[in-house]
Amino acid sequence: MKIEKEPITGNYGKFEIDGVKHRIYWEEAGEGIPLVCLHTAGSDGRQYRALLNDKKILKKYRVIVFDMPWHGKSSPPENSQVGHYKLSTESYISQIMSFIDGLELVKPVVMGCSIGGRIILHLAIHFPEKFKALIGLQSAGHLDPYYDISWLHRQDVHGGEVCGGIAYGLMAPTSPENDKFETMWHYMQGGPGIFKGDLFFYKFDGNIGTEIKKINNSKCPIFLLTGEYDYSATPEETKSLADTIGIEMVKMKNVGHFPMSENPEEFLKYLHPVLEKIN
Amino acid sequence: MFKSLIEKNERRSQLSIMAQYLNTCFMISTVDDEYLISIEKGNVTNVEEGPFVMPSYIFKLTASKNEWLKFLQSTPQPGSHDIIAMLRRKVLKFEGDLHPLMSHLLYFKLLLASLRPTESNREN
Repeated sequence: MKIEKEPITGNYGKFEIDGVKHRIYWEEAGEGIPLVCLHTAGSDGRQYRALLNDKKILKKYRVIVFDMPWHGKSSPPENSQVGHYKLSTESYISQIMSFIDGLELVKPVVMGCSIGGRIILHLAIHFPEKFKALIGLQSAGHLDPYYDISWLHRQDVHGGEVCGGIAYGLMAPTSPENDKFETMWHYMQGGPGIFKGDLFFYKFDGNIGTEIKKINNSKCPIFLLTGEYDYSATPEETKSLADTIGIEMVKMKNVGHFPMSENPEEFLKYLHPVLEKIN
Repeated sequence: MFKSLIEKNERRSQLSIMAQYLNTCFMISTVDDEYLISIEKGNVTNVEEGPFVMPSYIFKLTASKNEWLKFLQSTPQPGSHDIIAMLRRKVLKFEGDLHPLMSHLLYFKLLLASLRPTESNREN
């Protein structure tokens, strides 16, 4: 039987992040402008499977997706202990910059979703000259806690089940069930306490506040796209962010918090024009 | 409003597997009306409509009737499509011992969503 082989290549490499060796897994496909994609909290790079298979994008872009340390196929750093993981703004920036430097990428485009959509704002503040453009999916400058995240890592609750349950609701009821299930499945496979540890960045450490005014869109173009069904980073919050930066935002119909994974077909309709503009 | 939860057990066999060790009793309140729902091994075994004098339950979900109606639309609007979305908008309150709910979060979301009209529901 003939298989339908995908154009994606998987790689492992050792990267030094803040002086510590990390074994990182990444996938890539295509040729051209480097497009580094950042997955959401508690998940991994499989969220970008549709982009890595999109012929139109792969003609002009080298799409590269890495699993953050502790996520997917990337290892935890040496001497790690379960329950001690907490993502800080500094460490998140370090892993992205170490990855880009390690692959010797020059002026890549970086696109991130959720926590990735937040960190691109920090990148825009601190290193605008390093990027050709930044794309934020489900970006908001801050997020006040609205549920008790301690439920995400308790020994009397199955972490995969509760994290999957949380992720499921963030998707649009109109998204295809197969893609929703796969998106939820990634969450069900996360390590104990990792989703919660990522949310430390998302709900506390990574909140931007008035620093957002430091973003200068003329130094590095920023694009913001948010799904209408997202109640974590709502379209209204992205709009407020876009107004502060002085740019337009795009509200995506019929998708929620994971556009690239829960409804790739719909998402790509919105992403193609952005990538064409950057190119 | 929630009485029909008990009528759909046979169509929820896959859902029951997700909660096969769950035995609990919870309350859904629309402020004006209350429903006590019993679950045994993931199956809804009883739905009792109030008013109650001394109801006993493990946890309670309270939202206005209007908010529950929005949740129960076949394709709910953003913000009404999920119980955590409603919590975020502060139109739904979780009270009591939340362990059964949070340890079976997807089960409860799908259980409540099973009341939404679908093509197959309309046929019956």
